[in-house]
Amino acid sequence: MATVDKKYTLTFWEKIYIPELVKGMKLTLEQMLRKKDTRQYPEERWTPPPSFRGAPVLVLEENGVERCVACGLCSRVCPALAIDVQAAETADEKERYPARFEINMLRCIFCGFCEEVCPEEAIVMSNRYELAFTEYADAIFDKDALLTPVAELRPRLEYLRAHR
Amino acid sequence: MADLKENIAEHIESGRLKTDELILHMGPQHPSTHGVLRLELVLDGEIVVKVIPHLGYLHRCFEKHAEAMTYPQVIPYTDRLDYLASMNNNHGYVLAVERMLGIELPERVEYIRVIMAELQRIASHLVAVGTYGLDIGAFTPFLYLFRDREYILDIFEKTCGARLLYNYFWVGGLSHDVHTGFEKEVGDFVKYFRPTLTEVNTLLNYNKIFVQRTANVGVLPADVAISYGCSGPMLRGSGVDFDLRRDDPYSIYDRFDWKVIVGDGEVGTLGDCWDRNMVRMKEMAVSCDIIEQALASFPEGDVTTALPKRIRPPKGAEQYARVENPRGELGFYVVSDGTANPFRVKCRAPGFVNLSVIDEISQGHLISDLVAILGSIDIVLGEIDR
Ligand code: SF4
Ligand code: SF4
Repeated sequence: MATVDKKYTLTFWEKIYIPELVKGMKLTLEQMLRKKDTRQYPEERWTPPPSFRGAPVLVLEENGVERCVACGLCSRVCPALAIDVQAAETADEKERYPARFEINMLRCIFCGFCEEVCPEEAIVMSNRYELAFTEYADAIFDKDALLTPVAELRPRLEYLRAHR
Repeated sequence: MADLKENIAEHIESGRLKTDELILHMGPQHPSTHGVLRLELVLDGEIVVKVIPHLGYLHRCFEKHAEAMTYPQVIPYTDRLDYLASMNNNHGYVLAVERMLGIELPERVEYIRVIMAELQRIASHLVAVGTYGLDIGAFTPFLYLFRDREYILDIFEKTCGARLLYNYFWVGGLSHDVHTGFEKEVGDFVKYFRPTLTEVNTLLNYNKIFVQRTANVGVLPADVAISYGCSGPMLRGSGVDFDLRRDDPYSIYDRFDWKVIVGDGEVGTLGDCWDRNMVRMKEMAVSCDIIEQALASFPEGDVTTALPKRIRPPKGAEQYARVENPRGELGFYVVSDGTANPFRVKCRAPGFVNLSVIDEISQGHLISDLVAILGSIDIVLGEIDR
């Protein structure tokens, strides 16, 4: 059985206590004068860098049409099976569009594979990071919730072109 | 304390005090178990007679799940094993698959991987040391260390887009190149970080209370450590000079000049909790050395050239790749059946093996010492339960 000897005698300087106290206060003061590392969230918002992988969203072109051609690659590659795409025909040049496109944000693990695999750059990781829900149904984003104007996603799209 | 124990022992022997064994459950919701772990304690008064860890609260079927996914799809799941050291987990897994495919990596990829892995090691050790102080009752160093960890996470976020679960190392390369200004940011961080290590040493590691709580507690002799298969700071804290980065070199660790840290029983017995903690402290400085050397010879180039179009290792190929995770030897054993999904992925989690020794080293200690011992093992339940 291990025996633990924990006797300890204070040195003279430790016994008079004042120097130890001063040392402690000095450290505290130094820390007070440092640059602040905290942020007063939610009053002070945080802007993620363009590399940030937030919620995946669909790109909405300026003419009001989504880029997606409903090829289904993203739903195939998704490791968490979060994406549900249903294709339909359209008279447009791109021929197919997603009649239904749902991403379950409770399943999504924000890996970014969908963005990587998409041939049309139609699904990108946005900078949306406040993803808390009170109802399960709220967490399933349909096309209305996912479509985001391309202007908003510009920094991310440019980042992807530069780094891949 | 010794007197107290002797007193108790004397009473029991003389039959004046009759004691029964008491079974107490520590956890699963106990702050010092760092996750959901339940320890079944058999106690004699306040003295620990036996510790039985009960695992599985965080079991997510990683190994079975991996069989249902393609090779790249497994990578984000390896992130979630040891969520404090996701980069190192990625590294182990992609190394195994790369060896099966026989991929040669570009120089730049190797350098980025080493820098990322070492930054991650620092971040992980910062949590380990910080929460260890918290377990013992020192709250302030915890905040300081977490603040410094934030700087590393900021760098990671700028490079790979996530703070914790990166999915950054891909088979044959990286998901994308580092951001502009990466070298400078990492260099600045290392310069800033070195002095804070000294500060933490005075604040925490050589603090009288801390030394009293951890020195001579939970002594793990080298032979016991080896026979249980401990690795990482657990093993080196007991004075065994073994580090996979040097002894089974992977990536480009053999190019750098650095030394393996081993415990020396500076304030107590060799292999006590203090030693294990100190090994982590000193390893952070070593990681800084490696990062600085890697930055000095950081090559230019493309990181995506070796990414394979199709990841389908030949039928029957199998590979065991091991890397030095902050917690020890992390191994991935991958078997292929020629399809796009791995036939089998076995993960050797260092935390799981290190935890197995807890019964051996905590017998005869008080319950409060058990907290110190558990903290010094530095477990992450994500990888223990998988
Ligand atoms: S988002 Fe991209 S990958 Fe997904 S279905 Fe549409 S076009 Fe295909
Ligand atoms: S980010 Fe990953 S988990 Fe989320 S929808 Fe895309 S592929 Fe699926």
